[in-house]
Amino acid sequence: MESGGHDAEARGRVHLRADSLRDAAPAALHLLPCEVPTSRPAPVARFFTPAIRPGPDGLQASFRGRGLRGEEVAVPPGFVGYVMEMEDKGAALGARGSPQDSGKEPAEEELERNFDRVLGATACFSSFTLWGLETVPGPDAKVRGALSWPSLAAAIHAPVSDD
Amino acid sequence: MGGGGERAAEQRVFLLPEYLKNASKMKNGLMFVKLVNPCSGEGAIYLFNMCLQQLFEIKVFKEKHHSWFINQSVQSGGLLHFATPMDPLFLLLYYLIKADKAGKFQPLDQVLMDDMFPNSILLLKLPELEKLLQHVTQEKEINSRKYYKYSKEKTLNWLEKKVHQTVAALKTNNVNVSGRVQATAIFSADQASSEKEEDYILYAYGLISDYIPKELSDDLSKYLKLPEPSAPLANPPSKKVKLSDEPVEAKEDYTKFNSKDLKTEKKNSKMTAAQKALAKVDKSGMKSIDSFFGAKNKKKKS
Repeated sequence: MESGGHDAEARGRVHLRADSLRDAAPAALHLLPCEVPTSRPAPVARFFTPAIRPGPDGLQASFRGRGLRGEEVAVPPGFVGYVMEMEDKGAALGARGSPQDSGKEPAEEELERNFDRVLGATACFSSFTLWGLETVPGPDAKVRGALSWPSLAAAIHAPVSDD
Repeated sequence: MGGGGERAAEQRVFLLPEYLKNASKMKNGLMFVKLVNPCSGEGAIYLFNMCLQQLFEIKVFKEKHHSWFINQSVQSGGLLHFATPMDPLFLLLYYLIKADKAGKFQPLDQVLMDDMFPNSILLLKLPELEKLLQHVTQEKEINSRKYYKYSKEKTLNWLEKKVHQTVAALKTNNVNVSGRVQATAIFSADQASSEKEEDYILYAYGLISDYIPKELSDDLSKYLKLPEPSAPLANPPSKKVKLSDEPVEAKEDYTKFNSKDLKTEKKNSKMTAAQKALAKVDKSGMKSIDSFFGAKNKKKKS
């Protein structure tokens, strides 16, 4: 987490390219019960996916010789999962078009200055596979609690009725 | 993948409301901005929908020892970002309370001035602001310009409604608001039902408290007649302790979640009536939103 984007996020704005949300292709996601310290391409389809098979309690697979048990977890109703990446600054500026078609008020333009960055969705998903070490994570898994957040947030933030 | 070479671009996993996909026809209709967290006064990331004029808060699920496989790549951290609709009034309220120190009616664009978070003026673009503000302010109109002043009385009334509508959602979602539910429900159903309402209110109060300044949440506690803190600040609420203990990770771009101490929560589950009363005093029964996100030391040893 040390890309140059953070400075921009602290001071400016990060645009989310709306058309990328429509164009995103489905992706396969697995949440592993271990920390892989670096982020990079990995031959998941060669080593991990072929090892997945149904077991008596959910899916079975292994990673680095350890037995994993997994289950499919759906994204909360009304929500869509997206994978997003910061887009290259040069390309992003080009994609944003000329100032005259943006129709921005001067004050807004002023704020944007050169802090702006663009985030684009590269993939979407409606469920992912949640993996536990030796046992299925089950209903008590922390991430399952988090997935119940949207329904609660909806109530907290719904406008209250007038008297 | 992205940048190529050894290090790939950072991939972020988000959950967004479905309607955002079609909502924005404009190129720059959606953007992430840093605004104030109305509870802590620190910075937090929000998502603005400029087309539909909606505000979303971003919360991050973070649990130790997790990573993602995303197609043919690995992303360390295992973070899951949520964008959920946010009532802008919580943010407006933060500024109205701040402005109230001046003790006079002010136009909203002055109230929302913030050198630290200049994007706060975006809040002015939200629809039906005047209607929203009626819940928490008194207003005056001079020369067809509106001036507002924070009203604590109206705000507490508004917050009470918020608590009750949250209680209703907790019930429909079957959220377990108490560690004791199972045992009491089995052995003394009557007692359980009489206590439960209070547990729900305390829980909902805790959730709402994460969106309002501490001072106001204390007032709300009195207003709702929640059990009063009797030992004055010998034990400040655990959340605040956590906040100061935690080193601020300046590089983290999204809201930091100071998880509620799990041990405090555990303690609550096996308690005598007296202990329970004590627990109410320091409000460890109240639920913080942070408990939904991220665990501190969840070490798995098998």
